[in-house]
Amino acid sequence: MIQHVKTTESNQALDAPIAPADHLVGKSCRRIDGKEKVTGTALYGADLFPNSAELFASVVRSEHAHANITAIDAKQALEVAGVLGVYTHADVGGTNIHGLIRRDHPALASKRVRYLGDAIAVVVAKTERAAKLGRDKVKVTYETLPVIATMEQAIAEGATKLYPEGNVMGDKRIRKGDVDRALANSHVVVSDTFFTQTVDHAFLDIEAGTGHWDGQTLTLYVAGQWVHEERRLIALALGLPVEQIRIIQPVTGGAFGGREDISIQIYLGVAALKHQGKTIALRYTRSESMRVRHKRHALKIQSTFGAKADGTLTAAKIVVHSDEGAYASTGIAVMRKAASHATGPYRVPNVEVDVYGVHTNNNPTGAMRGFGACQMAIAYEGMMDRIANALKLGRETVRKKNLITSGDTVTTGQRINPVSVGHCLTKAIQKFNDQPYPGSDSLPAHIKRGWGMSAICFGLGYGDGFPDCSRARVELADNGTATVYTGGVEVGQGLLNAMMQIAGEELGLPFESMRIVAADTELTDESGSSSATRQTYFTGNAVRMAASELREQVLDIAGIKLKVHPHEITLQQGWAFESAKPDNRVRIERICTEGLTRGYSLKASALFKPRTIEEVPGTGQSPRAFITYLFGAHVSQVLVNTETGEVKVERHIAAHDVGKAVNPQSVEGQIVGGVAQGLGMALMEEVTYKNGRIMNPGLTDYIIPTIKDLPPVEAIIVEHDDPGGPFGAHGVGEPPLIGAVPAILSAIYDATGKAPCELPMNPERTWRLINDVRENDTLSKVF
Amino acid sequence: MFHQPTTFEQALELRRALGTDATVINGGTDVVVAMNHGAIHPQCFLDVSRIRSLRKVERQNGHVVMGAGVTFSELGKMHFRALREASLSVGGPAIRNMGTIGGNIATASPAGDGCVALLAMNAEVQLASKARGDRWMPLVDYFIDYRKTALADDELIHAVRVPHNPRSRWYKIGKRGAVNISLVCCAISQNENKKTELAFGCVGPIPKITPKASALLAGEELTPELINDAANLVTHEVSPIDDQRGTATYRRAMCGTLTKRLLTQLMKDDAKGDADA
Amino acid sequence: MPDPTPMEIPMTQVACTVNGETFTRDVPVDMPLLEFLRDVLGLTGTKGACLEGECGSCTVLVDGETINSCLMLAAQVNERNITTIEGLAAGSELDVIQDSFVATGAAQCGYCTPGLIMSARALLNDQPEISESDLLTAMEGNICRCTGYASIIEAVKRAHRESQSA
Repeated sequence: MIQHVKTTESNQALDAPIAPADHLVGKSCRRIDGKEKVTGTALYGADLFPNSAELFASVVRSEHAHANITAIDAKQALEVAGVLGVYTHADVGGTNIHGLIRRDHPALASKRVRYLGDAIAVVVAKTERAAKLGRDKVKVTYETLPVIATMEQAIAEGATKLYPEGNVMGDKRIRKGDVDRALANSHVVVSDTFFTQTVDHAFLDIEAGTGHWDGQTLTLYVAGQWVHEERRLIALALGLPVEQIRIIQPVTGGAFGGREDISIQIYLGVAALKHQGKTIALRYTRSESMRVRHKRHALKIQSTFGAKADGTLTAAKIVVHSDEGAYASTGIAVMRKAASHATGPYRVPNVEVDVYGVHTNNNPTGAMRGFGACQMAIAYEGMMDRIANALKLGRETVRKKNLITSGDTVTTGQRINPVSVGHCLTKAIQKFNDQPYPGSDSLPAHIKRGWGMSAICFGLGYGDGFPDCSRARVELADNGTATVYTGGVEVGQGLLNAMMQIAGEELGLPFESMRIVAADTELTDESGSSSATRQTYFTGNAVRMAASELREQVLDIAGIKLKVHPHEITLQQGWAFESAKPDNRVRIERICTEGLTRGYSLKASALFKPRTIEEVPGTGQSPRAFITYLFGAHVSQVLVNTETGEVKVERHIAAHDVGKAVNPQSVEGQIVGGVAQGLGMALMEEVTYKNGRIMNPGLTDYIIPTIKDLPPVEAIIVEHDDPGGPFGAHGVGEPPLIGAVPAILSAIYDATGKAPCELPMNPERTWRLINDVRENDTLSKVF
Repeated sequence: MFHQPTTFEQALELRRALGTDATVINGGTDVVVAMNHGAIHPQCFLDVSRIRSLRKVERQNGHVVMGAGVTFSELGKMHFRALREASLSVGGPAIRNMGTIGGNIATASPAGDGCVALLAMNAEVQLASKARGDRWMPLVDYFIDYRKTALADDELIHAVRVPHNPRSRWYKIGKRGAVNISLVCCAISQNENKKTELAFGCVGPIPKITPKASALLAGEELTPELINDAANLVTHEVSPIDDQRGTATYRRAMCGTLTKRLLTQLMKDDAKGDADA
Repeated sequence: MPDPTPMEIPMTQVACTVNGETFTRDVPVDMPLLEFLRDVLGLTGTKGACLEGECGSCTVLVDGETINSCLMLAAQVNERNITTIEGLAAGSELDVIQDSFVATGAAQCGYCTPGLIMSARALLNDQPEISESDLLTAMEGNICRCTGYASIIEAVKRAHRESQSA
């Protein structure tokens, strides 16, 4: 829970002139959680331990990627000094199953394990050391099953089935026009197969938290991304009524989708219910976190695009296989996102998309920044570069010819207005042209420079008929401060400031008068998930609506005090005054006191629930698959060492239409940070598996960008008011990552003359691309 | 037990008495990583970090002698280019403040950047024991097999020395701009008699030299043809494997590429009459 | 298979100064300094994130030099002087680097922030003049997953400017 409730009396002199209007929306107010974060006083999950941990838990994991469990023997573990209990599926009171979309993931496996992260037992002990020792002594016997390590193995004839219904988890299709005929009539047809890698979120704050059961309430301090939904899932798994569970979000060190699936909550619950009155603590190591958590989907994307001689796109035929790993997680949503973003922001009259989700014995794959849309951007932008190359047309020309404009439809048939992707691309390229492009002439022969671009779109939220909504509450206190209550979680993105600034703007209050309480299932209402770039739009709207109602109460009361019609009153800087006669004024504190005396609640709650329309099965068409669309464009400039394959990003420009930047500093932080993660995905990050086992579960071998890998990223904030967003804002979280990856690949293509199709383009892959060396080629080919 | 001697004599005595029961630790950048991974669970430590004499760097008889406790931060200020650049490529500043050259040699990882640079510079290592005193041996003979070395159970690494002022070069291929474990690294050095030594990291079970290539280059003026031949020879002398960081094919090719690149740099500097920077 | 975890670990006494205050404690010989600071002294401002020296979240100053506290043993800091993030602010007044991190928005999720601030503190303590490359090298061992580093670079430059003009 984030609680910034301080009661500071206003010390503003009552005769001072009213400060000029200070619009909080559009202002880079200092982060409300900044001070506690820079002083080390912010309490993240593991920081709660010194003051509260009484017992420690540790989790027994599967030793096999695929096996049947034949016996679990806790005898030796229970003999370890300090071990108080070993709990298995038999100790779980509810369904013992979780899963965000399908309930398919056993909390504690009883019969079958499907990946190496599957949990089998929870050990509780007096010390962490004893808990881990006990964990190592739990004997589990298995009957091993063949490991399905790759998608090819999963769909092969006679493959061992992870589930009775087979290894294909589901499919998603789009059908529009007549693709085969359009391709046959195209001037040029380009095809390629793209392989995107498994990516880890690698947020720095490793899963850690506490659980406590007092006989009435199970209180969990665990970071998630949607505390209310997590509460429901935990309740089902544990067999507790929802109202007996309270989740409080500690300060959270990043999420990026990686906290959407249930992590340690159920284990803590199982342990706490067995040890009433004791606070149980559980933390993962980095290695455990990486070995058990879900990942970004690795996709195999087979793309065929057709175009006329002038570059006009005619058709796209796309087949996607998605490695879903052992459990469904949010895979269905990712598949939907992939299908609906298969042709990005381009006008393509004939489209055929088939997305297949395939189960393997790898880690489950689920939400991660850009889910599905980010992988597809690599393919459609790769296709644009290949078409430009095939037709000897400029890369910008081909894109501009086909980019949708206001009133056009995207792949799903949804008409979009306004569309600013072309504007973003123009802005990014203009910025790029501000400096002369140095080319490769002054470089040593083995170093090549290249530049590239991308244009992308992102349908905000889950869409597709999902009943997504946010509720928010805003309250005024008689000291004139306003408190926003939201169930939304702050994971670093700046949600707290955004919500306080939106409410403050509506109420005409200075930022100093704003307070916020977030992500506590006891104190706050449901605000949906901090994901899918939805919080600014969804909770921002709910906050604005609640604040707007409160504003009406304030104006009413002020009208009584000032003896003028409420329409003639301005709220500004904590004052209400007669617009035409500013000297006729009253402080907000007085209004609040007066209002409470008169029976006003000074509280307002609002629900924001825009409707989307489910896509038609089979064709994927929907007039409103997503609430709104976000657009962006990037330009990247790289240096490639053609001898070693090393790639250095020299310049990177990212232009994003955010509707309206509520807090420009936060928006810029999201853009630059998204570029950094995109750079990591483009060039270095990759979870490697060997027969279901992660070979690099640590930050030594899971490589993420350092300060020396980032060029000074040039962020361009483009603002076209979103008609449905609060103050025109819509959000920015995911698009910067989506745009960064294809722009970097495009630059590598330009530098090397070879089109990349595998990720990440680490030195070895880039070298192989340049030298056309495949995995099994002998050295004589190059040396 | 936690032993923290302040003199090397005390340390040798403890090492004699405790042998492998005590885990020798200095900066901890290898030992504590292994502990945090649960790979080792030492209960007795011999901490040599308080022995001042181990942190000395001095000139002796045409050699530079570095105590085993000299940190990478210190080595990063050295005159020898390969050793300096190799040291500055290790971890970030905090790691370089902790990690020592003695630790790098003791761990004997095939990816040990310091070891590769030292090998190319014809370094010798001084091993010491209470019973038998000091012995110097060429570093190349010290590495036996994967993480297996000539260090006896009663010995500690005392110092390492390199001939003064050989010209040297360094290149490390990593996956990002800093804090890299090398995919391949290469160090070369050349003395006044045009004796050239090459060493490579991550191309076999131990940090590796390539004697055949060195023999080919010995005493010769560098020419593009000779450099090509040497690079070719190198690719046959190294024995990299496939692992999760990279393939043998790539590593083998890179050994040739880096040989060519670094020798060409030396050749060009010769032409310009530049001394080593 | 790794060795089995031993149950009983010998203890040793550590006497050290942390943020100006002297502490004497018995600790297990194998306890990392990070755990000592957090779990024994309750100074949870110093974070652990990789436990292998790759991310810098656990950076503290020992006798003025940055080290990764996840890789140093508590027993090794006997008689040494440690500064952690909790030791920077003077009462409610932030250190200039802390203030700059807030001003530039360099703390997003904030988890890497204490480590970054300690690295920046060491840089600014050591050098009156810093070049762009000094700055990048001083911070290269600190991973940030949120910001893309731009606001961090800006924060350190701002802190440097402000301490020069002070």
